[in-house]
Amino acid sequence: MMKLMKSRLKGKMLCTLAAVSLSFGGLVQADEWPEDNIRLVVPYSAGGTTDLLSRKVADLLQKELTTVVVENRPGAGSTVATGQLARGGRGSDHMLLMASPGHTIGASLYPNLRYDPVADFAFVRNVINIPNVMVVPSDSPYNTVAEFVEAAREQQLSFSSPGIGSSIHMSGELFKNLTQTNLVHVPFRGSGEALPALLSGDVDVAFENMPTVYPHIQSGKLKALAVTTPTASEFLPDVPSMQQAGKGYGLESYETSAWFGLIAHKSFPEEGMAKLQAALDRVMAGEDFKKFLPQFGAEAGTVVGDDFRQFVQNELQKWSDVAEKANLKR
Amino acid sequence: MEKSELQFVAASESHYGRCNPNSVLGCAFSILALGFLFYVIPSHIEIPGQMQHPLLSPRFLPQLAGWLVLVLSLILMVDGLVTPPKRSEADEFRRGVPIMRQVLMVAAGVVYVLFFEELGAIGSGFLASVLLFLASDLRNIWVYALAIIFPAIVTLLFIYVLNVPLPPGTLWESLSLI
Amino acid sequence: MENFSEVLTLFLSVDNFLAIAAGVLVGVVVGAIPGLTATMAVALALPFTFSMEPVTAILLLVGIYKGGMYGGSITAILIRTPGSPASACTLLDGYPMAQQGKAKKALKTALYSSVVADMISNIALIFFASYLAKIALNFGPPEYFWLICFSLTIIVSVSGSSVVKGLIAAGLGIIVSTIGLDAVYGTQRLTFDNYNLMDRVSFIPLLIGLFAIPEVIEFYTSKVAPHIRTAVSGASLTWKEFKGLLKTIVRGSLIGVIIGAIPGTGATSAAFISYSEAKRTSPRKANFGKGEIEGVAAAESGNNGVAGATLIPLLSLGIPGDVITAIILGAFMIHGLTPGPVLFQENLTLVYALFCGIMVSSFVLVFVGNAAIRYFSLIADIPKTILLPIVLMFCIYGAYAVNNSTFDIALMLAFGVVGFVFNRTGIAAAPFLIGFILGPMFEDNLRRTMLISKGDLSIFFRGPITWVFVMLTVASLIFAIRRYWVARKEDALA
Repeated sequence: MMKLMKSRLKGKMLCTLAAVSLSFGGLVQADEWPEDNIRLVVPYSAGGTTDLLSRKVADLLQKELTTVVVENRPGAGSTVATGQLARGGRGSDHMLLMASPGHTIGASLYPNLRYDPVADFAFVRNVINIPNVMVVPSDSPYNTVAEFVEAAREQQLSFSSPGIGSSIHMSGELFKNLTQTNLVHVPFRGSGEALPALLSGDVDVAFENMPTVYPHIQSGKLKALAVTTPTASEFLPDVPSMQQAGKGYGLESYETSAWFGLIAHKSFPEEGMAKLQAALDRVMAGEDFKKFLPQFGAEAGTVVGDDFRQFVQNELQKWSDVAEKANLKR
Repeated sequence: MEKSELQFVAASESHYGRCNPNSVLGCAFSILALGFLFYVIPSHIEIPGQMQHPLLSPRFLPQLAGWLVLVLSLILMVDGLVTPPKRSEADEFRRGVPIMRQVLMVAAGVVYVLFFEELGAIGSGFLASVLLFLASDLRNIWVYALAIIFPAIVTLLFIYVLNVPLPPGTLWESLSLI
Repeated sequence: MENFSEVLTLFLSVDNFLAIAAGVLVGVVVGAIPGLTATMAVALALPFTFSMEPVTAILLLVGIYKGGMYGGSITAILIRTPGSPASACTLLDGYPMAQQGKAKKALKTALYSSVVADMISNIALIFFASYLAKIALNFGPPEYFWLICFSLTIIVSVSGSSVVKGLIAAGLGIIVSTIGLDAVYGTQRLTFDNYNLMDRVSFIPLLIGLFAIPEVIEFYTSKVAPHIRTAVSGASLTWKEFKGLLKTIVRGSLIGVIIGAIPGTGATSAAFISYSEAKRTSPRKANFGKGEIEGVAAAESGNNGVAGATLIPLLSLGIPGDVITAIILGAFMIHGLTPGPVLFQENLTLVYALFCGIMVSSFVLVFVGNAAIRYFSLIADIPKTILLPIVLMFCIYGAYAVNNSTFDIALMLAFGVVGFVFNRTGIAAAPFLIGFILGPMFEDNLRRTMLISKGDLSIFFRGPITWVFVMLTVASLIFAIRRYWVARKEDALA
C-alpha cells in the first residue's frame, strides 16, 4: 500500500514536472538529447495488451535513459493517436508511439487516413513479437495443417476472430488466400467472446495470439497445429511453424505475428534516435526484459531502424493485398 | 396514451385537440422512418460483394428497426388522432421562461463543442460555467470564483491523478509561443 | 487442512486489507463521478499494481470493480447521471425517489442490495464456479441469440407510460447502434463518411447524453424553482422495508450471477432483467418508474450480482467476460499467473486467498458505501443553479476523455437534445439504451449463428438451453401482451 501511495505521488510529481517542462521545453535550444521527459503514447485504452507491454517497456527504458511518461490516447482503432503523432508539432522530438499490427492493417483497410504509415514516421525498433497459433478444438478431426487444408478445400469451415481487421482475423484471411480454401470468418467482439465458441467447437479453427490460447493448449482443450512465425516458438517446441507444416499447400511464405515497436515523428532528432536504440538494446539484453517476455508468450523483437521501416512497409503491402482479395478495402 | 379516456368530449381545456403531441410525434416519426427506409438505407449502407445469406445483410437490422419504428409511429399517430391525451400540468411551468436564459444555455453548449480544444478544458469549463451562472441570474461574486476554481481542480485531477489527458488549450499554447 | 494456514498467511497482510479498502474507496468515488466508469478506474489503477504482490494487486482491482459498480448508482440517484451503464436502471426509480425527498432511502437501498448481491455472487464464485463455468461453455451463438431475444422483451416493462412509444425508442436505439463499420463485412453503415462514426457511437457520451444532459436542458428551459433540500434530511431505510425487499434482492442476485457467469452479456442486461422481473411480480406494478423502492433494489442487486460472477469464467476458464475482467486478466499475466484450470492446480492457495479477499471486499463496501452516502448526499444540498453547470462540466470532460475527441462532446450534447425531446413527449429513454446495447448483440449472434451453421436454420433449436430461452421469450411476450390489454381495459373503464 505504501508502495502504491509512493508510486502515485511520484507519478503525480513527474507528471507535473513533465507538464511544466513541456511548456518551456520548446523554447530551449537542444544541445543534448534527451533534455526532457520522453512521452510514450499508447494508441489504445489503458488495460489492453499494448498498454501492458508499453508500460513495462517504459518502466525498463526509464532506468536506462530518462523518465518515460505513458499516455493512453485511444480512438478509432489506433488512428487518432497515430494521426496526432504524424502531425508533429511541439514536443514531438520526445514523443514515441507503440505501434502494433493495427498501424498497418488500419492503413490498408481505410485509405482515407490523413497520414502515410511509413513515410511520416521515424522507426526506432521492433521491441516485442507475439506469435499467433493456429488452434483447433481438441475433438477436431484434423491433426495437421495439411489435413485441415485438404478438408477446408472440400467443405466450408469457419474461423473465429476477435473482430474484423484484427491481426487474428487478417492471419486467417491470409491463410485462406494462400491455401485457396473455403474458410468463413466468424467475427466476435474480443477474444473473451471468441474463445468459448472455439473451445466448444462451434467454430473450426482460429489463429489466436499465443497468450490467449496457451493455457488451453496446455490443458488439452485446444490442439495447436502450427505457429505463424517462420520458426517454431520456444513455448510450443513440438508445434511446427506454418511455413514448415504448410509446405506444398501455398504456405511457404506465411508469416504473421502481433508485433510491437516504437515509432516517432519523422523529424525525430538523429542523436536521440541513436541514444534511444542503444538504450533499448540494453533494456532488451537485461534480465528483467527476458523474464517478462514469457508471461505474454512473447519473443524479443528483431528489426531495428530502417529494417523496421522495411518490415512495416512489407506488412503494409501484405495486408493491402489481403484486404483487397477479401473485399475488405474501403 | 393508454391513460387517455375513451370519450368524445369536445376539445376542453384539459385535452389536446387533433393536433396533439402523440399525433404530431407519430406523424414526424413515420416520415423520418420512411425517409430512413427508402433513402438513407439504400444510399448509406453498402451491400458487400458476396453474401452467404440474406439474414447476414448489413441492411437487415436497420431495416427491421426502421419498419418497427414506422409501424409503431403510425399506430401512435392514429391513436393520438382518435384519443387525444390529457394536457399535463408541467406545461404551465415551462411557459414564460426568459429567452436570455435559453440563449445562454445554448451558448455554453457551443463553447464546449466548438472551443474545447482551443480554450482548453479549464478555459472552456470556466467560460461555460460563467454563462450558465449568468443564465440563472446569480449575483454572488463568490459563485463566479467557483467557476474558475472548479474547472481548474477537476482538470488537474483528471490529468495528474487519474492520468486522463484533457486539452490544455491550443490558443494559450500559440500565445505563449509569441 | 494444512493448506488453510498457508491461505491465511498469504491473505492476512496489512497490504491486502489496505488494497481492498483503497480499491473499494477509489471505485466508489470514481464510479460516482459522471463520465468516469468502473472500467476506466480499473484500467487506470492497473499500472500501480505492477510492483505489488499478485494477491494484493488483484484484490485492489477487484475492490475497485466492486466499488465502481455501486458508486455508479450514487450519482444516478442524486443527479440522474449514471456512473455506469448498469446504473441507468437504478436511475429509473432512484431519481424519482430522490426528487420526492427520499434520496437517503434510495441510496441505502442501493447499497444494501449491492452488498447482499455481492455476497451471493461471491458464494456462487467460490462454491459453484466449475459448474457455472460448464454452463457458460455451452453458450454458443444460438444460445446467446435467444438469451438476447429474451432480454429484449424487458423493453416492455421499462417503457413507462406508453409501450408504443417505448418500442419506438428501442427501434431508434437499435438504428443508432448500427452506425459504424459492419462487423462481418467491414462495410460502412450510416457513417456518412464521417471518420468519427466508423468506430460506432461511443457508449459513455450516449449514456450521459441521454440521462444527465436532459436534466440540464430542462432546468434552463423552465422557470427557476426554489431549491428543495432533499437528501440528508430524508428518512433512511428501515429494517422492515429491507426485509420486504429481500426476496427481490435475492432474485436479482441470482439473475446477476447467471448473466455474469456467461461471458459477454454484461451487468446492464442483468440489472434490466432483474428490474423487469421485479415489476412483473410486484403488487405495486404501477409505481415502478415513479420512485418504487423495489425497483432500486432489483436494479442494484442484478447489477452487483454480476460482479463476483464475471470472475467465474475468468478464473476457471481464463475467459474474460467483459472489459474489466479482461484488464484483471492482464494483471494476472503481468504477475506471471495464468487464470484457468491450471491456476487451480498450481496456485490453489493463491486462489483461496483471493476468495477470502473478495469476501472481505463486500464487507468493506458496507462501510465505504455508508461513508460515501454521507458525503455524496451533500450534493443534493447544492442549489441546482450551481450544481448543474458543474455536473455538465464533469460530463463534458468525461465524454472527451473516452476517445480524446471533441466529436464525442458534440455527440453527447446531441443525445442530450434527443433525451430532452423524449422527456417532453413522454418517451422513456431506457428502451433506447436497451435497444442500443442489445441491438448489436442480437445482430452479431444472429449472424454468427448463420455463419457457423452455413445457413441451416435448425441450429437455432439445437439443444435444451435454446429451448429454455425460447420458452422464456415466448412466456415473457405473452405476459407483456396480457398486461398491456388488462391495463388498457382498466384505463378505459376508469
